[in-house]
Amino acid sequence: MSLSRAESIAVVGDLRRARRRQRVAEIHWIDAMYQVYITGIIAVVALMFLSSLIGDGQVSASVVADVKLHGPAVCGLVAALALFVGLRSGSRGGPLALERPDVRHVLLAPVDRGVALRGPAWRQLRFGCFVGAAVGAGAGQLALRRLPGNQAEWMFFGALFGVCVFCLSFGSALVASGVKLPSWVATIGGGALVAWSVADIAGRAPTSPATHVGSLPLWPLHTDAVAIVGVVAALVLVGLGMATVAGTSLEAAERRTSLVGQLRFAVTLQDLRTVMVLRRQLAQERPRSRPWIPARSGHPRFPVFQRGLRSTLRWPIGRLGRFAVLIVVAGLALRGVWAGTTPLVIVAGLALWLAALDAAEPLGQEVDHPGRTDTFPFERGRLFVRHLPIIFVVAAITGLLAGVVTLLPGTASVPAGEALIVGVMASVLAACGAVVSVVQGAPEAVDSMAMTTPEIAGMRTVYRAAWPPGMAVIGTLPLIAARAAAERAARPTAGTETMAPIAAAVLASLPLLLLVALVAGWTRFHDQIHAWIAEAMEQASPTKAAERASAEREERERAALARIEAEKAAKTEEAAKTGGAVKAAPKTRPKAGPPPAAKSKPKPSAPPKGVQGGKSAKPIGRRRDQEPS
Amino acid sequence: MTSAPAIESRGLTKTYDDIVALHPLDLTVAAGEAVALIGHNGSGKSTFLRMVAGLLEPSGGDLEIAGFDLSDVEARGTTSYLPDEPVLYDDLSLREHVEYISRLHGGDGFDDYAEGMCERLGLAERVDDLPARFSRGLRQKTAIVLALARPFSLLLVDEPFVGLDQPGKLVLLDLLDEVHADGAATLVATHDPSYVDRVDRSVALRDGEVVFDGRATLDQVLSLVGG
Repeated sequence: MSLSRAESIAVVGDLRRARRRQRVAEIHWIDAMYQVYITGIIAVVALMFLSSLIGDGQVSASVVADVKLHGPAVCGLVAALALFVGLRSGSRGGPLALERPDVRHVLLAPVDRGVALRGPAWRQLRFGCFVGAAVGAGAGQLALRRLPGNQAEWMFFGALFGVCVFCLSFGSALVASGVKLPSWVATIGGGALVAWSVADIAGRAPTSPATHVGSLPLWPLHTDAVAIVGVVAALVLVGLGMATVAGTSLEAAERRTSLVGQLRFAVTLQDLRTVMVLRRQLAQERPRSRPWIPARSGHPRFPVFQRGLRSTLRWPIGRLGRFAVLIVVAGLALRGVWAGTTPLVIVAGLALWLAALDAAEPLGQEVDHPGRTDTFPFERGRLFVRHLPIIFVVAAITGLLAGVVTLLPGTASVPAGEALIVGVMASVLAACGAVVSVVQGAPEAVDSMAMTTPEIAGMRTVYRAAWPPGMAVIGTLPLIAARAAAERAARPTAGTETMAPIAAAVLASLPLLLLVALVAGWTRFHDQIHAWIAEAMEQASPTKAAERASAEREERERAALARIEAEKAAKTEEAAKTGGAVKAAPKTRPKAGPPPAAKSKPKPSAPPKGVQGGKSAKPIGRRRDQEPS
Repeated sequence: MTSAPAIESRGLTKTYDDIVALHPLDLTVAAGEAVALIGHNGSGKSTFLRMVAGLLEPSGGDLEIAGFDLSDVEARGTTSYLPDEPVLYDDLSLREHVEYISRLHGGDGFDDYAEGMCERLGLAERVDDLPARFSRGLRQKTAIVLALARPFSLLLVDEPFVGLDQPGKLVLLDLLDEVHADGAATLVATHDPSYVDRVDRSVALRDGEVVFDGRATLDQVLSLVGG
């Protein structure tokens, strides 16, 4: 028996309405309004912060011309990346995040699956468009501060571009999922478009289709009717996606059900480790059954190092590919830094840090299983620190490869010595950041800092999130030092000593080596440091101090009682030995402690009128009170 | 007139990367037949059931349910799947679950049959409660009600006795007998020898391959499930 489309709409609609009623009934409206209020404040603060970064001075005419020339290609790259991400997500069963009962009960029922899936798809589309429009309008507002044009136009076209980018990503994901596009086709197709856009930016390829979409947000500067094609393409993709959504794989949908929920929760908790593990599961990125190079049999001398090595040798092809891309991105960013674009240190650092997080996977496995590490006959810190060598070895190889990308001939090529030193140092520091990320784990829900003021707790949150990638960025300092030395050497001034760039890079690396040693020490003694801080916080807590005083007082009272008992027993024993009558020892009692905190409530002599007892514990107490003693 | 087999698989396989979960499997379950699917952990029982239910996509081979291709909506209308782990909405009561899930399958909602089943399983007092707050056993009983309170001609059951108390287990055994007597085919994956005793046919899987097909004795069952 199967349901007609009309019947499907009616039953699925009834089910959704019943669930919505239940959910609405459970909403705590004050909490909801508070959340809206907090979100609004955060949005305003973020916008003001970005505005202050951008400044408000109008740019020169030549810069405006540059923006007109290259802006569409850069914005087009954003659209191409969104399409790439959408295709990849769709090929793995995205973008819909369904609930498992919906998969089991609704999608397995003989209803029209299109009817069942379009509801959630519209909801996600609606929310995504809203976010896209908000971000786009915000970006338009920021652009207006430096670029000429009308405020309403900048915000409108920014919002339109934001919606367009989201729709391109969401629509392509729906289509890829609906037609069950193989993952490799999605990667190649989306990757080709991204590569075309990158080549377009570099001026090495004809205009990419994405560049036309990218001219949409710049409409206030330069009207380009072809940009409408982007809007049409987004609408067509969403329409096609909605038409093909019924073809979504149930296997992929069910796999995503729990993972997406957990992923959101982990992101909320800033639990980076869980985010990474879940993302791998979503992408079905599993270690290879057979390592690339078979392990030697026998008893290895350094088991922890060998364990890490075997884990690394099982990296799947997808992870190796991502690793290669990150190395190239880091290398190119370092070239950009050498050419004078200092902010690219952030890109290089982040790319190396992400690569190092993969290298720190064996350590992450240990951190994930505290129950297992606690059974070892030595401290966890000793185990953790033995994982560092393999992480640093992988990081050094990564750095050398990034260095090779940096020194390749071409624009902004870095001299070989500087390139290799900087590559290795930046990667090792990135590895330190990854180790800190992994070892510090997720923030505890309740700890000694949980009750501190929002300013302190907030700073700690920012520190936890920013410090690990920050270390990776700091690792690029030798390149900046070498660049500065090279600039000084190129324009020598009287009275200023010049230094060879490679010497400057080595010199700048020395304090970084100290940082590496500190991170190794922190890893070794992390648990002890944590315990010490917790104890110090406890000592400083007034509540804990009062509790401690109370405990000490009780201890003194117990000791006094024990002493009296012992004296009594000794006297009794002495009397028994002498056989004489024992004069009763004067009864003493320990000094009365402070009165109890709360006076016990007098029990009623009879149950209150009208109460007949029941199944709870209270009536039993009342009955006992009534019994004759 | 001969009706189409409840399940007919030809060369059905399932692989995860380089791991073969199910080797090419040829298996036919006749309409109205009661079959026990036995085998040790990892033998492929749940994989086969989930493929028949439509939750997993076969890597190869053909699978027909009551003469319909697995992807046909009619195949979904024929099959009822009772999983080993109950999957329930957090925000619907037991009555609402039955009401909507039965209607999604073209049933009458929370009817007398569903009410009777709730009574037999000891859920009569809890029909207006949220199953999300139930114990594991009560959730399993709720899943049993949901699986049976709708039209089907093929019932797939995966490890049905996990989490059930003894009275619950006896009621479920009776319900499975009644379903079979009503003419529905049943395929029950279990480690429990007591169920195998009640059916005429057992199919044993080992490492994704059929190693036994016929009426099994207790000794055979124990050897096949590794008991």
